[in-house]
Amino acid sequence: MKKWRQTRLGLLFISPWAIGFAVFYLYPFFATLYYSFTRFTGVGNPVYAGFSNYTELFHDATFRTALFNTFYYTIIEVPLSTAAALGLALLLNMNVRGQAFYRTLFYIPSIVPVVASSLIFVWIFQPSFGIVNSLLSDIHVEGPAWFFSIAWSKPTFILLGLWGLGQPMVIYLAALQGVPKEMYEVAALEGAGPWQRLRKITIPMISPVILFNVVLSLVLSIQYFTQAQVIEAPPGSPGNSTMFFVIYYYQQAFEDLHLGYASAMAFMLFILVLIITVLLLKSSSRWVYYENEER
Amino acid sequence: MDGGLTSMHTAPSQAISDPAPLLPKRPSRRRQTFRKIRASAAKHIVLIALSAVFALPIVWMVLTSFKTAPQALAQPVVWWPHPFLASNYPQLFAALPFFRFFWNTFLYAGITIVGVCISSSLVAYGFSRLRWPGRDAVFYLMLTTLILPFVCTLIPLFILYKHLNWIGSYLPLEVPTFLGSSVFSTFLLRQFFMTIPQSLSDAARIDGASEFFIYRRIVLPLAKPAMATVILFQFIYCWNDFLGPLIYISNQSSYPLSLGLNLILGDYTTNWAWVMAGATAATAPIVILFFLTQRTFIQGIALTGTKG
Repeated sequence: MKKWRQTRLGLLFISPWAIGFAVFYLYPFFATLYYSFTRFTGVGNPVYAGFSNYTELFHDATFRTALFNTFYYTIIEVPLSTAAALGLALLLNMNVRGQAFYRTLFYIPSIVPVVASSLIFVWIFQPSFGIVNSLLSDIHVEGPAWFFSIAWSKPTFILLGLWGLGQPMVIYLAALQGVPKEMYEVAALEGAGPWQRLRKITIPMISPVILFNVVLSLVLSIQYFTQAQVIEAPPGSPGNSTMFFVIYYYQQAFEDLHLGYASAMAFMLFILVLIITVLLLKSSSRWVYYENEER
Repeated sequence: MDGGLTSMHTAPSQAISDPAPLLPKRPSRRRQTFRKIRASAAKHIVLIALSAVFALPIVWMVLTSFKTAPQALAQPVVWWPHPFLASNYPQLFAALPFFRFFWNTFLYAGITIVGVCISSSLVAYGFSRLRWPGRDAVFYLMLTTLILPFVCTLIPLFILYKHLNWIGSYLPLEVPTFLGSSVFSTFLLRQFFMTIPQSLSDAARIDGASEFFIYRRIVLPLAKPAMATVILFQFIYCWNDFLGPLIYISNQSSYPLSLGLNLILGDYTTNWAWVMAGATAATAPIVILFFLTQRTFIQGIALTGTKG
């Protein structure tokens, strides 16, 4: 009796989400899958087109470029910002005087609104008047055109991403402060050096947090959009070097109204994210340590 | 070999409790003090250099916003604005309806905060304070939506909203928050609700309290700090949100701050002082908010990030 009552109540309490899940996730997800097999411009009915959108995608050079750019950004930015955030957190965790001050300072860039930080970066990396190239010319280095250079545009976006590492840094710092101090004491007594303590205690103890953050930042960086859309005019330039996946998707869906084609792209992205997440979670059993299975 | 690096890394154990007396071959006290100073100096040099790099963009933004247009472009660079020009701000606010943008953003944030507070707390309650078969499986299902790319649902939703005549309004961004769309908030509240002793609920149930009464009168009042975090994060989310309004809002008078700010870049790229005045105006409120609510902020981030 009591169990049934709790079940009914539980379902009642989660019903707002359950309705939202059906309307905003389940239905549109399957509708996207359906549209991906059609030609559709948003008016009239979708026309069934078999796998033609997918075969077209495989022959679309811009799509391949978009995939490449997205991988380029993700594969460099995610490990780099994870390592840098972790390194900074470790440094701040070493009982430095003024820890709170540094923490605040490194954190603030990550709360600057995305559009504002994009504007700031366009300005400081402006090729002829920006402060970065001015400082470089002071030391007799001729700076590149950054966002406006095919070779440098993606690295500059990575720099913009690194500037916002305050968020993961604070998370790692909190995790580091949760590692029981006795462990380090015992390790020191056993004669473990600093490197060993890092490898055998610190990293394993905070590995679940690292996994969680890496998964989320991977998923986010694969969907990289806002900064590229704000900074580049037209988005994707110069020479498609900043044509990221979602930038191309946006153009296909909302500018060219190729809704079927864009849906096929969306579904490809889903498969991609799924594969990456599954691989990461599978590999995690080898490097992620859970203190006790239940929490 | 005691390089600088080794001594740098010994700092944490010493900070915890000095294990030195038990270690063999303890270096002389003077040498130890010297090493400590050297290690701490090395740390501070690294940190100060990094701080300068991290602060430069913000400092440069604020300084530029007080310059005249030609001075902003001056080569070699002029660091300190001369004359110190505050008029960029009123001029920009006169050229573009910035107050309107702020107001639209506040409205967007305010309504979705109400939505998130109501729906996420209810859903989190169902996922934490009540026991029912399959609860945790459904909870994990909810978490997986976090990794679902937004483009996988965007087109059908856009068409749906078009049929409902919602395009051009904030409804597509507001209504979902009343239906538990903020998974992060639900997750955070659920983690918090789990820490409230079950005995409180049990006692109330024995007294005949309804479950809604327990939610409203016992659990919610105890969860005020977590709710504060949820409100804060939702506010920042809306303040930041560019993609949502970009897709659904077309009329300039309905623009939120993010879209308005984007407008300056297109229209006034010749006057960087104005662009930076806009960026400063959009950033300052958030930074002030951060300093006012620092504890809630840092605790909240730690809570979402670490209790996975």
